[in-house]
Amino acid sequence: MLNYFLKRLFVMLLMIVLVSTMIFFLFRTMPGDPTAFVVDPSIPPEARQQLLERYGLDGSLWDQYKVFITDLARLDFGDSFFYNRPAIEIIQEKLAATLILMLTAMVFAYTMGIFGGAWMAWRRGSRLESLGITISLIFRSAPTFWVGLMMILLFSVRLAWFPAQGMRTAGTGGGTFAEMFLNLDFLRHLILPAIVAGMYFMATPMLIMRNSMLEVMSEDYIEMARAKGTKERHILYRHAARNALLPVVTAGALFIGASIGGQVLLEVVFSWPGLGREIVTAVTRHDYPLAQGCFIIISAMVMFMNLIADMLYAFLDPRISYN
Amino acid sequence: MKRISQKKVWLAVMIAALMLFTACGDGSDDTEPTGSDIPDEEMGELVPDLTFLSSLPEANMVNYEMSQEVAEELQLLGVNAESQPMDFAVLLDVLYGDDSDYDAYTIGWSGRIERLDPDMFIHSINHSDNANPGGNNTNRYRNPEFDEIADAQRREMDIDARRELVFEAQRILAEDVPKITMYSRANMQTYNKELFEDVINIPGEGLFNEWTPFSIKPLTDETVLTVASNVNIDDMNPLSSISVYGWRNLRLIYDKLVRLSPTIEPEAWAAESWDVVDDTTIDVVLRQGMTFHDGEPVTVEDVKFSYELFIDENVEYFGSFLTPIDSIEITDDDTIRFNLVEPYAPFITNTLAQIPILPMHIWENIENPVQYTNEDAIGSGPFKLERFQTGEELVLSKFDDYFEPVHIDGYIFQIFASPEGVLTALELGNVHMVSYDLVPSHTEQIENNDGGRYDHLELTEGDDIGFFYIGMNLDRKPFDNKQFRIAMAHLVDYDLALDVHLNGYGARGGGGLTIVEANEFWHNPDVPIYDTYDPERAREILVEAGFTWDSEGRMRMPVE
Repeated sequence: MLNYFLKRLFVMLLMIVLVSTMIFFLFRTMPGDPTAFVVDPSIPPEARQQLLERYGLDGSLWDQYKVFITDLARLDFGDSFFYNRPAIEIIQEKLAATLILMLTAMVFAYTMGIFGGAWMAWRRGSRLESLGITISLIFRSAPTFWVGLMMILLFSVRLAWFPAQGMRTAGTGGGTFAEMFLNLDFLRHLILPAIVAGMYFMATPMLIMRNSMLEVMSEDYIEMARAKGTKERHILYRHAARNALLPVVTAGALFIGASIGGQVLLEVVFSWPGLGREIVTAVTRHDYPLAQGCFIIISAMVMFMNLIADMLYAFLDPRISYN
Repeated sequence: MKRISQKKVWLAVMIAALMLFTACGDGSDDTEPTGSDIPDEEMGELVPDLTFLSSLPEANMVNYEMSQEVAEELQLLGVNAESQPMDFAVLLDVLYGDDSDYDAYTIGWSGRIERLDPDMFIHSINHSDNANPGGNNTNRYRNPEFDEIADAQRREMDIDARRELVFEAQRILAEDVPKITMYSRANMQTYNKELFEDVINIPGEGLFNEWTPFSIKPLTDETVLTVASNVNIDDMNPLSSISVYGWRNLRLIYDKLVRLSPTIEPEAWAAESWDVVDDTTIDVVLRQGMTFHDGEPVTVEDVKFSYELFIDENVEYFGSFLTPIDSIEITDDDTIRFNLVEPYAPFITNTLAQIPILPMHIWENIENPVQYTNEDAIGSGPFKLERFQTGEELVLSKFDDYFEPVHIDGYIFQIFASPEGVLTALELGNVHMVSYDLVPSHTEQIENNDGGRYDHLELTEGDDIGFFYIGMNLDRKPFDNKQFRIAMAHLVDYDLALDVHLNGYGARGGGGLTIVEANEFWHNPDVPIYDTYDPERAREILVEAGFTWDSEGRMRMPVE
């Protein structure tokens, strides 16, 4: 088991180096250079040259790559061109905002999804089941930014229950984590985007759960439980649902990995200062260190959560073993 | 719709004329291009195929449309022309790249406040010194007579004499048409008139300028102004900040010797006065009794230190304003003398009005000033920095000891992800002013004011001193031919740009127009410019200039 884990970890590291290399060259083949975003192009050519030197972009591509990869080995992504601060600092700040939003959305989506999915399988063929599927699919297929806008229109503008955008009321909050995230104001701002995102994500766990429940329900031990006269609800949640959870766990683990990138459209609609928005602007601004850092962290997270999902399997299902 | 039918009529007339003349085979009317009896091989070479680089429609719809229009007009004249939209960054790369591989393009110059001084629009973008790859003269315009005047206005320290020179420069540009200005956009902005009053609107900057924070007064107990932005700001270090909005805030935290008044005249600010001793010597007397936000006094040493720091650290953003400085000396307790390498007319309006005064007692101890994050920026301006939350907000409070105290308790510069978000916040009363130009659909929405939703908002219109134009590569045929450029100026439908594409919010352009009317002091109103859309006239000009059309109807260059 440990052996397997270490082997996977090693492969993962190799993959990260490979991905980083690809990302590095991909950004440099992009047309345009970062000096184009310095206020506007009116700066004289000598000044552009100076700026390139300051950014470390004056050397050959190979030299730049060597610097990049040695820095990466020390987990240093370099300084963001735009913010003039270490890219990792910016990423940390934004990652917190994104993760809180996405994890809240995930808890919402997976709780609703797992219970709803199990229940729907149990009530297979009923009108309520098709209603549930339809609703979850509607939210899955509707563009999130549109749903977001409609929710803002209804709950913020018309009813004024929730704030329309941002992470906190302008001018409040402070520097520390507690001041920023552990307060009612933040919670009020979190609810609307989290629900919109949650509704969007809900269909996946719900339908997976439903399908896997249907499979489980045809098993003999369910029949057995029925024959024993166990209560319906007991059979549903104690016997069937627990065994049907496995595929949902995989989906969930992968979801966490992918969620780092955030929901760019939602972040834009709700002016949520998350990593997704930051990645988009970093790319358009040619802020290489920041953009590279974001993508490397995202790919590392996806790989890592994949590994976690695989390891979890061994615990959840005794038939799987990595020896 | 109207335009299309006009074109159809034009096309029909053309075809009819073509048929008529081929039938007659007699070119008696020399204003008509087709019927020429010169054999093709004796005509000049073909006018080369032309590509107009322009913006993606989502980036600038007007430029995108106008560029298509002009390409179509040229096609009707028998030139193979096409419009090629591209990403802004890529376009810049082409225009400023080493290869200079382009025929023509559409782009614009934004109307930043230092561009009210005519040096940028006269010298930087038209002087032949800047006509090499990487330079701002991307039209490759070279005219020794013009260069002389452009140099002279830069050296002329007397403002009236300088104005004459700038007027003369504009006359030459209008005649030579190195580029064709299509339109200027109006700065449409808005603020909450129920909560605040006394805003100032400045050409090129709009409402969130240098003066509104000084003049604005609260009408209710809401004493903190919230300003909405849809662009991010970078950092609080004056030596490294490179975003326009970073600077619009920094100049309120840091003070400057001179500020440009709302009517764009230099006004002594942190300076008590200045004196042009001779063309290359300027004495500045510092205002007494000023302090930094941490209580330390502002001294002439701080001023000298700041300017030298900017020079020593090679701050790119201000490079062109600082290179004219030869040395700075302190002549007495409150006087600083600037010695210039050569006379530099924009010294007061640009250099003194741009460089912030930094506290020496803080910055002299910093090892690498350009890399310093300056999270607790200490300046001597009217506002103190409370907090800068990257990508979210900048919170500033009133500095009580400032010599000209402001009327609000502070302001919050709040960053939104999209203009839609700002509009909602405006409607809900969460933000009180915008710092950027509203998108046209929002202007309309606020103006229509459905159901009185925007009753509390006042829409403001300001003229922009920037402009959008068609640039031409004068190193290439046919743009090296002045008459061709003049003809081109007749192919641009200026009214279409303004009335249709901009809904009337803006100003018309014209051939060679560089300093637009909004810049009242420097604009030369007496120069006739080519600013009418008249394809018929364009054709006449081309015929007079010796352009001919071959048997296939393709335009040919004049025989040399």
